[in-house]
Amino acid sequence: MNAELLALIQMAVGGGLMGMAYALVAYGFQLTYAAGKAVNFGQGELVMLGAFIGLSLAGIGLPYWAAVPGAMVAGAALGWFVERAAVRLALQQRNEGWILLTIIVGLFGVSAAENIWGREDKPFPVPWPDGALEFFGISVTWPELAIAAGALGMMALVELAKRYTMPGIAVQAVSADPDSAELCGIRSKSAISLSWAVSGAAAAFAGTIIAPVTTVGPTMAAALTLKAFSVAVVAGLDSGFGLVLAGIALGSAENLSGFLLGSGWREAPGLILLILALALRPQGIFGKKIIRKV
Amino acid sequence: MKASRFILTALLSTLLSTGAMAADVVKIAITGPFSGGSAPMGLSMRDGAKLAISQINQSGGINVGGTKMKIELIERDDEGKNDRGALVAQEISAMGDISAVIGTVNTGVAVMGDKYYVEKGIVKIITPAAGSASMTQWSKVGTKDLPIFRFAAHDGIQAQMVVEQAIRLGLRKVAILHDATNYGVSGRDDLIEQIKKQGGKLKVVAIEKFAIGDKDMTGQLIKAKVSGAQAILIWGIGPELAAVASGKEKLGFKVPMIGGWTLSMSNFIDTAGAAGNGALMPQTFIEDESIQRARPFIQAYHKAYGVAKIPSPVSAAQGYDATMLLAEAIHEAGSTKPALIKASLENLKTTVKGAIADWKKPWSKWDPSNVETHEAFRRTNTVMGKVKNGRVVLANPSEKGVLEGKKTK
Amino acid sequence: MLFHVNLALREKTAERIMRLTLFSGLATLPMIWHGEYALGLLTLMAVYGVLLIGLDATVGYLGQINLAQAALFGLGAYGTALAIQAEVSLPLALLVGIAAALIPGVALALPALRLEGPQFALSTLSFATLSVIFLNESESVTNGALGLSIIRPSLLNILLDSTRFYWLCLMVLFVAWWASQLLLRSRFGLAIEALRDSPTATDALGIGTLRHKALAFAWGSALAGLAGALHALNFGYLQPAAFGYDLMVILLLGTVFGGRRNQWGAFTGAAVITLLPNLLSNRTLFSFLVTLGCLLAIVPPIRALFSRKTPSFRQTAPVAAMSVALVLALFASNVEEWRKGIFALFLFAAVVGLPDGIAGAVTAILRKLIRFAPDPLPVASGGIQPANSSAGLALQASKLRKSFGGVKAVDNVTLKIMKGETHGLIGPNGSGKTTLVNLISGLYKPDSGSVEIFGVRPIPGSLMSAFLAGSARTFQNLQPFSGLTALESIMVCQREGGISEAMGWLNTAGLQEKARLRCSEMSYGDLRFLEIARALATRPYVLMLDEPAAGMSKPDIIRLVDLVTSIKRAGITILLIEHHQDVIAELCDLVTVMDGGQLIAQGTPEQVRRNKKVIEAYLGSDETATQAKSEMRTQLC
Repeated sequence: MNAELLALIQMAVGGGLMGMAYALVAYGFQLTYAAGKAVNFGQGELVMLGAFIGLSLAGIGLPYWAAVPGAMVAGAALGWFVERAAVRLALQQRNEGWILLTIIVGLFGVSAAENIWGREDKPFPVPWPDGALEFFGISVTWPELAIAAGALGMMALVELAKRYTMPGIAVQAVSADPDSAELCGIRSKSAISLSWAVSGAAAAFAGTIIAPVTTVGPTMAAALTLKAFSVAVVAGLDSGFGLVLAGIALGSAENLSGFLLGSGWREAPGLILLILALALRPQGIFGKKIIRKV
Repeated sequence: MKASRFILTALLSTLLSTGAMAADVVKIAITGPFSGGSAPMGLSMRDGAKLAISQINQSGGINVGGTKMKIELIERDDEGKNDRGALVAQEISAMGDISAVIGTVNTGVAVMGDKYYVEKGIVKIITPAAGSASMTQWSKVGTKDLPIFRFAAHDGIQAQMVVEQAIRLGLRKVAILHDATNYGVSGRDDLIEQIKKQGGKLKVVAIEKFAIGDKDMTGQLIKAKVSGAQAILIWGIGPELAAVASGKEKLGFKVPMIGGWTLSMSNFIDTAGAAGNGALMPQTFIEDESIQRARPFIQAYHKAYGVAKIPSPVSAAQGYDATMLLAEAIHEAGSTKPALIKASLENLKTTVKGAIADWKKPWSKWDPSNVETHEAFRRTNTVMGKVKNGRVVLANPSEKGVLEGKKTK
Repeated sequence: MLFHVNLALREKTAERIMRLTLFSGLATLPMIWHGEYALGLLTLMAVYGVLLIGLDATVGYLGQINLAQAALFGLGAYGTALAIQAEVSLPLALLVGIAAALIPGVALALPALRLEGPQFALSTLSFATLSVIFLNESESVTNGALGLSIIRPSLLNILLDSTRFYWLCLMVLFVAWWASQLLLRSRFGLAIEALRDSPTATDALGIGTLRHKALAFAWGSALAGLAGALHALNFGYLQPAAFGYDLMVILLLGTVFGGRRNQWGAFTGAAVITLLPNLLSNRTLFSFLVTLGCLLAIVPPIRALFSRKTPSFRQTAPVAAMSVALVLALFASNVEEWRKGIFALFLFAAVVGLPDGIAGAVTAILRKLIRFAPDPLPVASGGIQPANSSAGLALQASKLRKSFGGVKAVDNVTLKIMKGETHGLIGPNGSGKTTLVNLISGLYKPDSGSVEIFGVRPIPGSLMSAFLAGSARTFQNLQPFSGLTALESIMVCQREGGISEAMGWLNTAGLQEKARLRCSEMSYGDLRFLEIARALATRPYVLMLDEPAAGMSKPDIIRLVDLVTSIKRAGITILLIEHHQDVIAELCDLVTVMDGGQLIAQGTPEQVRRNKKVIEAYLGSDETATQAKSEMRTQLC
């Protein structure tokens, strides 16, 4: 295989692995959108806080395997808090205030992180070995593999929980029709809270698996919210595993266009495709068509 | 009622900035990014300067024409954003009683904001912003009387040293990597100019850039590798530099990294870990207690802020020395008036013993055709540092004398 | 409120006086509040004022989160800066700035037009990111990240020092404000607001979606370009990174904080985002503002406690946020480092506590304190006029089919209605009546089959096309233009005639008293009448009424029957879906019955009432239902 082609494959693989992280954060968007028709525009900040909390827990001597669930519990609490503080009221009144309130809560999160943990980017310790693996001339690092495995595992776990546990089924009922769900004795508020908590936990988990690659810092996830949101919207906010494909596609497209056009233009082709995709299929590539009811 | 009227008056007086001038203090402003991506440099610079101020104030203050005056500090966060920096500059220059300003990390902020100081004739010492534009903007328009001084090894010197180092290592082909900010792009231009100046001994085989926040540099590095680069000359800041180092490790691309002083930032060294070893950069200061001159400052800093390592030692030491130089200038001017302080900065009589060097007349009368008149650092008081196991050490041990102060200009 | 002042002024006039006072105050301010800094802040405020007034056109009036404004602002700034570098005169450079934002803005509007909500936000955001990439990468033109420096030229030989430049910005703000008000209170502006409240209704009533969306966006972009032009002249140095997402978030917060759909709100927002972060860096002022904010936030919950109510979340959350801010301000070791966090807390308290922004809250208080002279109502004229009375087919639906998933909602339905006929459409819930009307009116595209209205075949699935063929409809689930008054709702639907004709339509529907009431304040029954008046105002040939009597009181139903009777007398063809059999019996010439998506009977109301299939459809064919059947028979008679 010639060097040029090998380089292209290397770029696509690296981008695709990182794209799994976009997909995981996008999955958090999908969870809250299904249950309450709102998403957290401060989701990236939850990712960042999750990573910092994980780092602190590891710092007080907890092993990695205990620090990650700890961060997820904290992430769930934060997700719950965002819903309670920023989203619930605005949604009851059917206005778009939640978009801004989630951004504002995120801004506060960054400021708090800057003052609690400092403004420095810090490395995130992991139990995986150093160095890279090589498959047919393509090098992949352990943390990158962990992102892919973690993202898929987390999504599969939540999907299973949605289908086979009572709270999961309740959340699905509320997504389908909150009023009917209420009539069946499901508290739609609790179901929405639950989905926000799960979304927060997923974000914190994403933080702990991304951090080994990107390092931990208050601005680590600034771009992540937008990328993940793009993935969620392009795939369709109700599309399930279409996310993974969209995430991999965006990640590789970014890397490849950066490689071929120069790194400054890295994001450009993806964005143009995004605008076109939206103009042609507003509901997302894998989304269901929206039917207006009157 | 009385209380509310008091608050109202206080509010109005601050609003209209007609607050009474306190006669027995010297007011100095420190500006820089205290939040956001370049905050580590801004905060270290500020804390270094604050250390100097507290030492001066503890000794009773500055002797200004016979009266001991304490320094009063005004801090402003410019967030590393140009617009905000311009407003901060407008605010400070409108205060009316500010003697001098120290700071600025981001070259863009200096380019956008410093004109307000120049209009008012307020003295500013730029540190640690190194981009060439912050001084050349004044020589370009031919400003006659300039109250802006720089206390940092500017990119011209740094690029010169980087290219020298590459030639010294016997390299022929290099790749230039830089970030997409003002700092990175002007660093790239300085490098290309220096390569030409030093006889074109190096061939630039790839020029690649990266954005702030990028963590995956594989693409840029593959291109550099494929084009056969023997070294990477790099201009960027900590987090992205670290990403380049880890990317190199991942690809097994084992060539030296030589770049601007930002390679000494702790967020590069700590994050890159073993991958950062061997990175080379110009340094004005090294956080090494075995260097006698630096030891008191390093210890005082560690003690004052309860840290074992300075986030950005160069910024901190420069902030400290700039403040010491300013205090001396105020003393020699015998006045808190910016115009007189400017004059004495251009002609300092006493040698100031700082953490970096013994500063003997670092600046001279401004000459628009020669920016060096308002630049404190020369090639001769800058050394090459090297990352070794999480610390910066001298790359060429023969240069230790420079840091000990045996060879200032 | 315990007291109020009666003012012999109309609210509009009062607003105009206040605006003039504000601007004369701002213009004289540099004489009192000296200094470059004050001028710098005031100039920035004026520039952001223009920018936010533009942003309000999309975020406020159109109701879509537009994340491209900061980038358009940047494009305008670069356009002007490059024009000045090319030594173009200042007025021309300003025009170049406007064009530099307007042209890409309109280009973006085209693909973004079909989108709403998160999708719209995302497409504007993508555009914004692309613009910044473009500015950063086109080094040969824009000088990339190194930035572009310019020197402010003179305006027609007048040297623009900072005071004069401030006055120029203030003048531009004044004009932008005035023009926006003029534009957004015109029929065009009403249409934009109608579009926000119900895009379905604006399409069905022929107001149009795309055109107005594009125009709102174009107006916003032009103002962004103008503001950008001033920005370039103000600072004289541009860098692409300054026009990214960070600025956009601040702008969005400013709009919401100040108050949407209101130029005062945009101005207040601009004042807040320029002054607050900069004033917060003054320690004394900072503590003062935090304390003041805390005190203000605590008033509503205390009032609630006094009237023995539990304070709501809306009242308590701002107190919590401001308390955290106060604690930080008093105890944090370095307040400067917490500045952003405290700014966020301020914003949180304001957005939760003041949903209509500062301007909205102040307007509400002023309206309570001051009674303005009411705007006089226009004289009514016009009303229902006889339609063309030729004979023939008014409406023909042939073999229409539509299924959703596996459900055949409409299955091979053919329906003919003659001109001037009033045709009833009945059937049990879920029988496909509304879907049929949705197919005829173009809301849904049929899977197969065709529709013909007055000899024209509208494009399947296009409300607008069906409207142009001569139909108009009302909706079972109301589609009011909540932000508009009753009178405005009519005006926006009119093809011809002015305000007095609009009043005439309200008269026809018996709503003349409610002309100045906002739809959000009207009762359910009144809104149903307003929907009919709206449809009538478009002068349709065929009027489709979807359950107009649903949820109405007995007296209202009598009013409704009278209204429909007068429409019928004028010769307008009517398709009426209704559950109230007495209404059907009284009004309809012919009735069609649907069940399970199919036509099961057709005839006069009398014939249909006796049809066995119809009775079965309503009650099932089960023998046990015999009792119920006879009951129903008595009910129907």
